[in-house]
Amino acid sequence: MDFPFLFQTMKTLLAALPMTLALFSLSVLFGGLLALLIVWMRVGGNPVLSRFARGYIFIFRGSPLLIQMFLVFYGLGQFGFIRHSFVWPALREPFVCAVLSLALCTAGYTAEIFRFGLRAVQPREIEAARAIGMSGFLLVRRIIAPIAFRHALPAYSTEIVMMVKSTALASLVTVWEVTGVAQRLIAQTYRTMEVFLCAAIIYLVLNFLILQAMALIEHRLSPHRRAAVSLVPGGLPVSR
Amino acid sequence: MAAATRLSVRNIHKSFGAHEVLRGISLDAHDGDVISLLGASGSGKSTFLRCINLLETADQGEIVVDGERIEMTVRNGRNMPVSRKQIDRIRAELGMVFQSFNLWSHMTILDNAIEGPVHVLKRPRAECIAEAEALLEKVGIAEKRHAYPAHLSGGQQQRAAIARALAMKPKVMLFDEPTSALDPELVGEVLRVMRSLAEEGMTMLVVTHEMSFARNVSNRVIFMRSGEIDSDGAPEELFGKGGSPAFRQFIGTFGS
Amino acid sequence: MQIVETLGFGQTGWGGLLLMAALMTLCVTLTALLIGAVLGAVVAAAKLSQSRAIRTAGGVYTTIFRGVPELLIIYLVYFGGSSAVTMIGAYFGYDGFLGLPTFIAGALAVGLICGAYQAEVYRGAFLAIPRGELEAAEAIGMNRLLRFRRIIAPQVLRFALPGIGNVWQLSLKDSALVSVTGLADLMRTSQVAAGSTRQYFLFFIVGGCLYLVLTSMSDRLFASAERRASRSMPAGIGQI
Repeated sequence: MDFPFLFQTMKTLLAALPMTLALFSLSVLFGGLLALLIVWMRVGGNPVLSRFARGYIFIFRGSPLLIQMFLVFYGLGQFGFIRHSFVWPALREPFVCAVLSLALCTAGYTAEIFRFGLRAVQPREIEAARAIGMSGFLLVRRIIAPIAFRHALPAYSTEIVMMVKSTALASLVTVWEVTGVAQRLIAQTYRTMEVFLCAAIIYLVLNFLILQAMALIEHRLSPHRRAAVSLVPGGLPVSR
Repeated sequence: MAAATRLSVRNIHKSFGAHEVLRGISLDAHDGDVISLLGASGSGKSTFLRCINLLETADQGEIVVDGERIEMTVRNGRNMPVSRKQIDRIRAELGMVFQSFNLWSHMTILDNAIEGPVHVLKRPRAECIAEAEALLEKVGIAEKRHAYPAHLSGGQQQRAAIARALAMKPKVMLFDEPTSALDPELVGEVLRVMRSLAEEGMTMLVVTHEMSFARNVSNRVIFMRSGEIDSDGAPEELFGKGGSPAFRQFIGTFGS
Repeated sequence: MQIVETLGFGQTGWGGLLLMAALMTLCVTLTALLIGAVLGAVVAAAKLSQSRAIRTAGGVYTTIFRGVPELLIIYLVYFGGSSAVTMIGAYFGYDGFLGLPTFIAGALAVGLICGAYQAEVYRGAFLAIPRGELEAAEAIGMNRLLRFRRIIAPQVLRFALPGIGNVWQLSLKDSALVSVTGLADLMRTSQVAAGSTRQYFLFFIVGGCLYLVLTSMSDRLFASAERRASRSMPAGIGQI
């Protein structure tokens, strides 16, 4: 095996890793916030907003991300009023387009995941909160959201790994992240296997780290679902 | 001097669809009263309790908690509370204990108990913890304060739920069949806690099937039948020979 | 009126080509699903194997093909496959570059990915069969092959149906990425039409809508198949 070549390839690919990470973290952040808004519309009780949210989820989960991304990247610039508006300097940037379409897409999937999390909240836990005088945002913040988020976490972890993979599509709108650079190296060297190997290792390590982090969060957030033994933090095990 | 009126309910009506569950219930609870609400299932006693803290909204009637009248209005043909703020405040003054405990599963017992004081009443956390620990001590589960509800027995969970309600320093405690979901051998520990509360002078409204509690702890017994008050009086009187034929038949089925 | 002409079936209209392209997308995805079914069954069996080495191999397969960006896998298959074909060509005396047919490359790449997802689905479905039913089959003297054919396979298929539906939807959307190899699927044809008419917005919207038609139609199909398949099951068990 040609180790110098592998080493060189790895170096070149790792140089593009910050771009992949930037795409990933920004789109997960904005997508998550947007998902909260959509879930709120979906379950909020207003029929017009609820229908809009349904439509949003249907469209963004039902069509390929690539066509959404091309629509944003090529499609929006076709309109004069967009080209002449204040958002154009941002929207002409491939990076902004990529983040925008990644965030729009993941918001649709994430909204459904959060909605299923909400269904796990027991009505009687809400009732107990009402009985001591909680309502509105306080009720959501202290009782509903924490319970729903814990239930949504496993599915949300899967969605986040999907997002790591989805950042690869940004290379098709000329953002040079890891997969794009890998494709360029393959086209230049025809050493497909070696380049693939290096890129795959980067993604797999990245996924592994993210899943570990998510598992840690899940572990931290759900002591109530573990056995009674490790209950007292730093203390002796409590027996039943 | 007569004791202050803690809770006053006038002419409560409630229907679910065509089924009229409550047909004009009125009741006054004075400071230190322990009132047992008895009745067959479906007689409306739980619904009545839930109407008092507005977990259900009565179609008609008036509720006054410690001198403050809950303001109601009719909107879209339905009776509704005027101010959400007022409801939250009133609820904070009424401690509720549920049949199925309803502890928040994602919080420890101590966190359950301080949740209301810290986040609803906005009191200093350290103070709330000290008080909650004293309450947990009182109901006998202090050593479980860092455990989660799922790891406790039903009796322990219900005692924790009582401590959670007490932590709000309520003016009246409402108990909705607090022992009905418990194994028979766990009923006693919950009743003991309720008894000591009664002895301390807490105003309590208890929906129950525990005849011994109604007879020996409460100072007043109300028997409900088909959404109305059938008999109302001191336990000695009702369990003596004052009760109506329906009440006699009811306690007969409980074998007392 | 111009839009009607652009999207119509006439001389200058793209309607016919787009419908052909949608058919191509269906064909690629269907072929990929079949390749994935074979791979998935093998990998699921590997992951359920007694031998630790075989289990690990199965695990490595699913980790790679579910964790590495789909685009990278398509590059691997297309460029790697083409190098292989070129080498074979050179052996027979042809010394130019030979490309792997794009349909085969695309179906193979998407098939490798959806094989990994199907493996998880089949494994879960197998584990959902009550152990007692397998013992009962053994007890009446069925041999391994008969047990598989009469008891295991039909049950796995029923339990797996909702999962396969999900994998199908996923693959339908993944197949859009095959367009990078130049295969005239729905994605690629929308792109070509958009580029040559400069009507980017229009054609990406139309392409997106056609994808939505495909995904929602197949969603219906799977839902009714599920209903038929779960007739013999108590309510609720059909959904894993």
